[in-house]
Amino acid sequence: MTGIGPVEPVNSPDAQETYEVIGADTPRLTDRWRALSPRVRRAVLGTTALAVAAAGVIALPPAKPSAPTGTLDPMPWPANVTTFRYTGLAATFASEPTSGMYRFAVTVHSGPPVTLRVTGAAFDGLTARISPTETSTVSAGTTRRITVQISVVDCAGLPLDAGMPSLDVTLRNARAIQRHSFIFGGTYPHDLSELLHKACGPVPARPSRRATGSANSQNVDGG
Amino acid sequence: MRQRSLIALTATLAAGALTLSACGSRDDKGDSDSGSGGTTVTIGVDAPLTGDLSALGLGIKNSVDLAAKQANEKKYVDGITFKIEALDDQAQPSSGQQNATKLVADKAVLGVVGPLNSSVAESMQKVFDDAKLVEVSPANTNPALTQGTDWNGGTKTRPYKSYFRTATTDAIQGPFAAQYVFNDSKKKKVFVIDDKKTYGAGLAATFTEEFKKLGGSVVGTQHIDPETKDFSAIATQVKSSGADVVYYGGEYPQAGPLSKQIKAAGAKIPVVGGDGIYSADFIKLAGASATGDLATSVGAPVEELPSAKEFVANYKAAGYKEAYEAYGGYSYDSAWAIIEAVKKVVEDNDGKLPDDARAKVTEAMQNVSFEGVTGKVSFDEYGDATNKQLTVYAVENGAWSPVKSGTYTG
Repeated sequence: MTGIGPVEPVNSPDAQETYEVIGADTPRLTDRWRALSPRVRRAVLGTTALAVAAAGVIALPPAKPSAPTGTLDPMPWPANVTTFRYTGLAATFASEPTSGMYRFAVTVHSGPPVTLRVTGAAFDGLTARISPTETSTVSAGTTRRITVQISVVDCAGLPLDAGMPSLDVTLRNARAIQRHSFIFGGTYPHDLSELLHKACGPVPARPSRRATGSANSQNVDGG
Repeated sequence: MRQRSLIALTATLAAGALTLSACGSRDDKGDSDSGSGGTTVTIGVDAPLTGDLSALGLGIKNSVDLAAKQANEKKYVDGITFKIEALDDQAQPSSGQQNATKLVADKAVLGVVGPLNSSVAESMQKVFDDAKLVEVSPANTNPALTQGTDWNGGTKTRPYKSYFRTATTDAIQGPFAAQYVFNDSKKKKVFVIDDKKTYGAGLAATFTEEFKKLGGSVVGTQHIDPETKDFSAIATQVKSSGADVVYYGGEYPQAGPLSKQIKAAGAKIPVVGGDGIYSADFIKLAGASATGDLATSVGAPVEELPSAKEFVANYKAAGYKEAYEAYGGYSYDSAWAIIEAVKKVVEDNDGKLPDDARAKVTEAMQNVSFEGVTGKVSFDEYGDATNKQLTVYAVENGAWSPVKSGTYTG
């Protein structure tokens, strides 16, 4: 009984995808040190030596051996600090839509920034992506509004009633990359079902129940 | 280069030493199990401490015990010492009701953690509610307990204001499993089996409803008798039904043999269940052929939550013989919610328990909010946990391995 996951370590050699490394552009400690003047370096070294000595004195009285360690991991896994909230349709549907624009508010509660990518919308016949850019990065303590374009690419096997649909996402922070599903009640199932009905429902004028098109296209194959 | 490395090392050591000193000062607060004197408050525990489900029940009891001990060590509520009173319900509603009556009669009891089984909870709720004694279950998942029997008909009504839970419900767990089985595992024909109990039948129903909505077909249904372990007749029916997956609403003592016998009958298809089968004992009972079986469980695995590391370390240090199992973290959080509510009541009453302490604790529970072992602990208007995370596990190499996690957003 281990693990929440599936989890891959950041920059895993097994990772199929190349990810931008969060914080990679930040100067390293040694680079920053090199940039300091010799005088500043001496001052820092002196202060550090004093701090070491003082800390050594303070730390000398040993912690009680029986006391279990209680340090919290400062770097949480992204799925545990990220919440999604559906806020409504970004636009009304066209008369015969093959896609819809859905708005979500994404909050990251703590830890390093989380980069998210929407990878699916529960069903094989749907594709989903953040629009206009495919990824969005949210810093701790902030909420970012994103628009997700959900497109119908194949009506075969798609239910018209979405039930309790999920949005499949990849969440990535400096700790891990996690595939996670956010499952929505409230109005999202209704709004998604509206797209499914309009795109795949038994409309008399529609010659085929099968819609085709790509995630980036509003066009329906006339059929 | 070497010099720069030395400087970096020095800086790291300095930071480490400062961290150590900070930890040392924090430890100064609590150095014994002894309570802070004054009034003793009892936290009741009701769970199956004997019988087939005792592994889960003992994990609940130990985790509550740990919470009480730590509250005492930290002198978390000034003037209050916590102790626990654990009663065995043997997973039987009638025993649960007797235990509820016994706990109500003990005036020192200001809150109860438990039970494990939803059917047992049904028999206890009214007893506790009449006495305004708060109950926090770490494991009940039947939606009706908090949202009323017509929860799925569009009318949610909270039956008892004294009942809370830290686990999420089958209203989410069943559909979550159905979505995974249909969309990810690509299974379209299910044979649904349940044990006719509140939890098992309810979970099977929420799974079935969602699975059918998604376009899947139910090729057979059956109920088992939880008192037997011979499921060969049902296994044969499963084999002949053409099902490509079995969903079982129930618990591991029956699910393990059921899975084994289904495979032995020639149906090499996965058995899927809820948190009731998410136990190492399921794998022991089901044997090697259980590989590929699936379970959903409430929340994220305790071992992997940053917030749970302290709990895991403290549980280990406390030397309990039994594992904390699936509900340990939720039990600790349930107990701690009671401790937080007691703290609030005492602080609001000039440091003493008021005469109507039970009613006040129940009232305070509604607004409890803290960072617990399983994440943020708080309750919605029905008494349900606001933390609604779920995980799908698969049996791989003789152990449960997580394959997908999800969070419900209402």
